[in-house]
Parts: sequence; C-alpha cells; structure tokens
Amino acid sequence: MDRRNFLKTTAAVCAATLPFKNIKAEETEMKTEFSGVLVDTTRCIGCRSCEVACSKEHDLYVPDIKNDSALESLRTTSEKQWTVVNRFETEKGEVFVKRQCLHCWQPACTAACLTNAMYKTKEGPVTWDGDKCMGCRYCMVSCPFDIPKFEYNEWNPKIQKCNMCFERLQQGKKPACVEACPTDALMFGSKRQLMEVARHRVYNYPDKYVHKIYGEHDVGGTGWLYLSAIPFEQIGFSTDLGTTPYPEYTKEFLFSVPLVLFSIPAFLLGLNLLTNRKNELSEKQGWKNE
Amino acid sequence: MEFYYYVNIFETKGLEYVLLICFLVLFILLVRYLSTPEKKE
Amino acid sequence: MNNTTAITSDFKRFIRFFLQELKPKGKWLTPFNIISIPVILLGTIILFIRFTQGLGSVTNLSQEFPWGFWIGFDVVIGVAFAGGAYIITFVVYVMKVEKYHSIVRVTVLNGLLAYIFYAGALVLDLGRPWHIINPIIGNSFGYNSVLFLVAWHFLLYMLAEFVEFSPVIAQWAQLEKVRKFVSALTLGAVIFGITLSMLHQSGLGALFLMAKPKIHPLWYSEFIPILFFVSSIFAGLSMIIFEGTISHKVFRNLIGEKSQHSFEEIILGMAKGAAISMFVYYFFKALIFIHEQQWELINDFWGYWYLVEVIGFVLIPCFMFAYAVKTRNTTIIRLAAIITLIGIILNRLNISVIAFKWDAVNKYYPSWEEIIVTLMVVFTEIWVFRWIVTRMPVFSKQH
Repeated sequence: MDRRNFLKTTAAVCAATLPFKNIKAEETEMKTEFSGVLVDTTRCIGCRSCEVACSKEHDLYVPDIKNDSALESLRTTSEKQWTVVNRFETEKGEVFVKRQCLHCWQPACTAACLTNAMYKTKEGPVTWDGDKCMGCRYCMVSCPFDIPKFEYNEWNPKIQKCNMCFERLQQGKKPACVEACPTDALMFGSKRQLMEVARHRVYNYPDKYVHKIYGEHDVGGTGWLYLSAIPFEQIGFSTDLGTTPYPEYTKEFLFSVPLVLFSIPAFLLGLNLLTNRKNELSEKQGWKNE
Repeated sequence: MEFYYYVNIFETKGLEYVLLICFLVLFILLVRYLSTPEKKE
Repeated sequence: MNNTTAITSDFKRFIRFFLQELKPKGKWLTPFNIISIPVILLGTIILFIRFTQGLGSVTNLSQEFPWGFWIGFDVVIGVAFAGGAYIITFVVYVMKVEKYHSIVRVTVLNGLLAYIFYAGALVLDLGRPWHIINPIIGNSFGYNSVLFLVAWHFLLYMLAEFVEFSPVIAQWAQLEKVRKFVSALTLGAVIFGITLSMLHQSGLGALFLMAKPKIHPLWYSEFIPILFFVSSIFAGLSMIIFEGTISHKVFRNLIGEKSQHSFEEIILGMAKGAAISMFVYYFFKALIFIHEQQWELINDFWGYWYLVEVIGFVLIPCFMFAYAVKTRNTTIIRLAAIITLIGIILNRLNISVIAFKWDAVNKYYPSWEEIIVTLMVVFTEIWVFRWIVTRMPVFSKQH
C-alpha cells in the first residue's frame, strides 16, 4: 500500500467513525432522566389546594373547595379538571387520594396516537398537541387509567389531561400541584430519587405502609408513584393491570405488518404463475379432460 | 401486594393438542361431507 | 398540438356525457326512495348539528365510552362485510377460477363503495377532522400506532379497488385506450389489495389490543387480529350471498337469465367456503377458550352471551351451510348467510361496545341520531351503487 492510498483510507475511516462518535455523544446528552412525583397518601389531608393550583395554572374550571362538598362522591378527572382528590373511608380512617395522569414510562396513549399529538417528552411528562390531534379518541380507548378526557360539547374539541406542568418544568419550576401542597404529600424529582425516598419510608415504617409502591412496575412503570397505608384496591387503584408496558401488546402485530407485506405478494404471484403453468400443461397433455 | 410463585403458562398445552386432533378428524369428515353432494333425483 | 386538442375534445365529450348520465333514470316513487330520502335529509341536519355543537350534542358517547356505534358499526362491521372483494379477486385473478368471474365486478364495486362510505364514516366521528391529513402528508407520522396502519391501508386499498374497478368506468365512458391501460394493472392491484386486506382486517382487531383491561376476558385475546381476519372471510362470503340475492331480485332486467342460473352455482361454492372457514374459526375460538382457561367465566350472563354468539351464530350457521351444500338448497344458504351476518355484527359490537367495559354503571347505547346517521350512510351508499349499476356495465361479464 503506498503512502497516498494509506492516507486516503485513514481519512475515510476517520470520516466514517466521526459521525458515529457524534451520535454516541448525543445519546449520552439525551439521557435526561424522567421526572415524576411521589404521592404519599398517608400525608394528604384532602385540602384540595392542588386542584385549585392546577386549574389556575391551566385556565380550567376552578372548584369552590370550601362549599362544593365534592369529597362526598367519588370523582374522576374530567375535561374541566385535570386532577381530583377523592376521599375513602377505610379501616385506618379517612384516606385522601389525588388522581391525575400517571405519566407512564411507556404510555399506551402515545403508542395509540397516529399523529404524535400525544407525546412522551424526554423529561417525563406526556403532553398533547392540538395542532396535530385529529380527535379519534384512540388514546382514550387505550389508556388503562382512562385519563385522557374529550370535550364532547365543543365544535373544536380538545383532549384534556394533566401534562405535569410541562411549561413550568421547562422554566426549572416544580408542577403547580406540588408547589401548592401544604403537607409535603407530593414530592417532585427523578424517578430514581423518588423510588429511594419511597423505599426508605416503607423500610422505616413497615407497619405504617403497605409494602408496595404503586407505579414501580405497574403497566411497565409510571412517572407518578403512590404510597399507601392500606391495600391499593381499597383506595380506587386497579392492581390487576399487569407489569407489561401497554405498547407491547401491539408490538407483535406491528412487527408482522412488514413481514406480511414482504411475503404475501410474492406468495400470491407465485400461486398465480403456478396456476398458469398448470393450465398450460393440462391443455397440452389433456390432463384433467375426462 | 406482589407474590412470587411459579406460573406454568403451558398448563393447557396437552388439552390444546387433544382439541387439535379432534379438529383434524372432524375437519376431514366435514370436507368429505361437503365434497360428495347428494345425487340428484 | 393535435394530441392536446384530441384530449381536450375527448374530455369535453366525457363531461357532457357525465352530466347527461347524472340525470335520474326510472321511477321516482319507489318504496326505497320514500324511506331513504327523509332519512338522508334528517341525517344531514343531524350532521350539521354535530359539526357545529360537538359530538356530545347528537351522540351518547362519554368519557367512558369514547367509541360508539359510528366506529363499532359503520367502520368495524362495514369493513368486515366488505371483505368479499378480496376473496373473490383472489379466487378469480390469482387462482383463476372462471366460475366466479361474473360476480367480480359487482363485488369489487360493493367493496369500493363500502370502503368509501363506511371507512369514510370515520371522519364523522373525528373530533378534529380537518387534521385527518396529518398522518398522511407526513408532518406527524405516528408509526407506532395501529390506527396509523389501518388508516394508510384503508387509503391504499381504496386506491387498489379503484384500479380494479376502473376498466368498467373506462368502458362506460368509452375510453378504449384508458381501459386497456388500467386492465393491465388489474393483477398488480389485486395482489396488493389482498395483502392490504389481510392487514387491515386484522388491524381493526389489533386496535383493541391495548384495551386489555376494558374488554371482557371472553372476548379479549392476543389473537383478536387473527380472529378478525378469519371471520372477515365468511363475513365477506355471506355478504356476497346476501347482496347478490337482493341484486338479482331488484336488477333482474340488468342480469341475464343465464347468469341467474349460474348464480346458484356460485352461491353453492361460496357456501362451501363459508362452512369451512367458519368451522376453522369456531375451533380457533375453542383453542383460545382452553388456552386462557376461561371455563370459570362461562357460568354467568356474559358467559351465556358468549355461547350465544359462538354456538348460535357461528357453529349453527356453519352446519346450515354444510347441510345446504349437501342438499343443494339455496334457501337455507341465504338464511345461513343472514344468521352469519348477524353473528358478525354481534361479535364486532361485543368487542367494541357491548363487552367493552362490561361492568360499567352507565352503559353506552346508541342515540337515535347515531342510528339515523348510520342508516343515512347505508342508504347513500345504496343510492350511489344503484346509480352506477344502472349506467356502467357492472353485471355483464366482459373481456
């Protein structure tokens, strides 16, 4: 190999490795951890400050928490309110549970969305983009927690759901509900940190908490985590949703699509040619003539 | 609460193969039934 | 220069011809018109309200039941019923069974119209339909979505069906060169169309894969896509028998005596296909039942309801088809086809509406407006179908 060629090859090899290295560098930069919130239901006093803070932050219906006695009935989040607090009468007294989007690690709603309007940001929140959404409501069908809500009485309806105050996170602030909570029932942080705190609490007070952290593995892990003093079934949680991330249920089907498109046309064409050949032969040799 | 115990996901495989054999036998009977139309009067 | 003038004059001739053909033919006051015209007018008013006041103003949809009758009936069932087109084109163009050639055109037309109207009914159900182009033009491809695939397959399949049908249009418009060109594309369109059909028939089932905790375990299975595909075979065959029977009564003057007779033979062949595919489907259901160990679920209302669907509307019509083929009894075949179609309606509605959130307190049922709009879609399709078959050479076999 002469000198010139050697230089050329070296240059080519370098050029080939360069972008590869850049991609690697980008990947490490992209490793922003998912944020989430730890909800300790033993600390919640049912003051509903979070409901008010959330609605004010997102220009939604602000509930009159002093007079509307909404705790009397079980509520779900709605197209008017992204978060609600429910009261449960249990063997350990009153328990208050705040509900909102759990911001799954692998959300069913974003896998369902055919326009990427439902989007899992790299910071953790699942957000909705009205410029893309076509209102098919497949996210609502797919969400195991029934969180996305649709404005049925608007000519230009929106999907309404908690976005973990994505705009505030961008500015380095905490979600509005976390900031409004007077009893530290809500704690904002990365899931790794939150898991450590949650486990710490369970180990230190093994009699106070049930030994499960809701959202650790449920539906493949969620951004929001819950601690409770009584079994989660009794305070309105579905505990039979499994630990498989929901998008995995469609994985096989989606993968088989290109397989079918590769193989079936060739198979059909082959059948077609085969029948041609058969007809020719039978004409020539008078095979099936009786 | 999470418990750890063994779940055999292939528990019903034997029954499924029995069903398969039943199916094949019945299927042959059905195809034979269909392919020999009754003689016209 | 000469060429362009020839094309423009051809085009002008076609426009004149088209306008002339637009005029109605035949009697106005038929029973069908008397029923369908008020329904279509009423449906238009309902749709106007729906697009100005929102979906909640005319439908019973709720946060718990985001998909109702318009998706469950119009789209999911309509597409299953349109499955006949891919089966017949497979038999005639790929396997070259000449016996069924005479019904290819009408079946393909039915399929094409079913897709345009029933898959098109999806637009009525969209909250923000003006964004429907988003997943098509590529500014926001949601590759990860089953619905993305289904939408694309609908679109491409309509194109394939249009190519399959276009020789008839060209023949009607007397454009011989165009006819030759599009006829040459038929086999390609057929092969492409069959592949797409396999995928979106099963894709409609795959839509419900992520609704695992919401669908009653007797109806949910990871094999829903395969069940949907297999059931679309006998749904399509039964629909051809059903539609063919009606067409042969209503359009008797367009169909010759000879093809009346050969239609009996065709029906017998299709009944055989339906019997076999239903038999296989029934055993698929049984296999899933055993695999999921569902016998504990069978002894309550939902279990009985499941048995009604699987035995009453799959196994029994399957035996009816088989018996009718054996005895060459076309009346029983027609009856079995109707039972099969009801069974498909039951199955699809069970998955999308009835056994969906089976334990909900406020169950969904369609509002009268939803039913009127559905009827409107069906009637409009029949109007267009009638307009085409009375003008284009759909029923006559032509090479």
